[in-house]
Amino acid sequence: MKKIFCTIGIIITFFILYFLQANFFTWFTISGVMPNLFVIFILFIGLFIGKKVGVVLGLFIGVYIDLLIGKAIGITGLMLAIIGLAAEYIDKNFSKDSRLTLMFIVAGGTAIYEIGIYAFQILKWNAMLEIVPFLKILVVEVIYNMVLVIILYPFIQKVGSHLESLFKNKAVLTRYF
Amino acid sequence: MYKNKKTGMIGIIITIVVLILVVILSNIDLQEIPYMENIFSSIVMPIQNGLTHLKNKIAGNDSFFTDIETLKQENEELKKKNSELEQSLRELEIIKAENDTLKDYVNLTDKYLEYKTVPTYIINRDINNYTKTIIINVGEKDGIKPDMAVIADKGLVGYVISTTQNTAKVQTIIDTATSVSSVISTSREAIIVSGTLESSSILKASYIPTEATILENDNVETSGMGGIYPKGIHIGTIKQIVNTKNNIDRYAYIETAVDFEKLETVLVITKEK
Repeated sequence: MKKIFCTIGIIITFFILYFLQANFFTWFTISGVMPNLFVIFILFIGLFIGKKVGVVLGLFIGVYIDLLIGKAIGITGLMLAIIGLAAEYIDKNFSKDSRLTLMFIVAGGTAIYEIGIYAFQILKWNAMLEIVPFLKILVVEVIYNMVLVIILYPFIQKVGSHLESLFKNKAVLTRYF
Repeated sequence: MYKNKKTGMIGIIITIVVLILVVILSNIDLQEIPYMENIFSSIVMPIQNGLTHLKNKIAGNDSFFTDIETLKQENEELKKKNSELEQSLRELEIIKAENDTLKDYVNLTDKYLEYKTVPTYIINRDINNYTKTIIINVGEKDGIKPDMAVIADKGLVGYVISTTQNTAKVQTIIDTATSVSSVISTSREAIIVSGTLESSSILKASYIPTEATILENDNVETSGMGGIYPKGIHIGTIKQIVNTKNNIDRYAYIETAVDFEKLETVLVITKEK
């Protein structure tokens, strides 16, 4: 029962994030660059709930975003699914209890996601390769996402450990032994 | 969480404040707040004036060298003026030669009267930093179909890529994946215009013919080739020409006529009247 409520909560959170990203963060930008809340969200799901949910949710959210605003269906879904899958492996090798580690995980995730999206843009639509402007935007976006993680860290930890104990059926404290 | 809770909260508050400051500072346009500039310049400028006066007085002692400097400067200025005059002469020649063609290109608003359009407004912008698509609130119900051109009062916006019952997705000309076949209004030379990542108001013109004469401030409009955009829709003006060694791959930057940052209402061209 609790799991169902949590799943509904996750779906509602996605819609809240979508409206935040589409309305608030298109205006609240750092020199015109907005953060990517979906990467943080999928990494969070993948790290705390597991790769299966991460992949499925990443795919679902990505395809949904593609349908809403994308030019082709699939690439956002594919990249978010990869992020969700990678999160599980990151969780096995790094401790997500450190704020700094979490910041770097999000930075890496954002970079991988955006490089994938941009590469697809070039391959599919024959867009011009502009490395310097791309890197400029990427760096600002990565920093923006890292700052958001600093702000959201207590919330991520609290909700994350609750979800982890619920979905992975293990007490959070077991990690320390 | 695992350390001191209070310190953690202070850290978060400081980060939020810093983030807000960064966002405000990075998006501030100095032209919008001239009074700020006035205040700051009124503090510094009187002292700066005094210092410059003092510096000039000291420099006046070696007037011989200063004279040479002045002559050099004058020479540079004259050379610059000469090239400017040459440029305007060239421009005049083109205008004279193309006078007949230019007669066809009257006011843009008159031009738009030729098309049947559906007015609409933007309801959603792209949530990604690397693509520039927009959603408009008209769809199949209003007769909108993919590949229809979208314009604004000042010029071309993009084209419809897909539709739903009530909305349509528009790929703008500032998207890096968009290429528009265009012509330079005065010389009628064909070029390809595509979006750049650098700015949402700058386009890149490439495939410029080697013998083409292009000048800054020349207008660029759609050529009508390709079947999506009707002929003669204003795109923007050439802002900077970048010459390369062999002239084949030279390119130019075009400033869009439409301000995409503030764009709210657009028109979809459903058909020519």
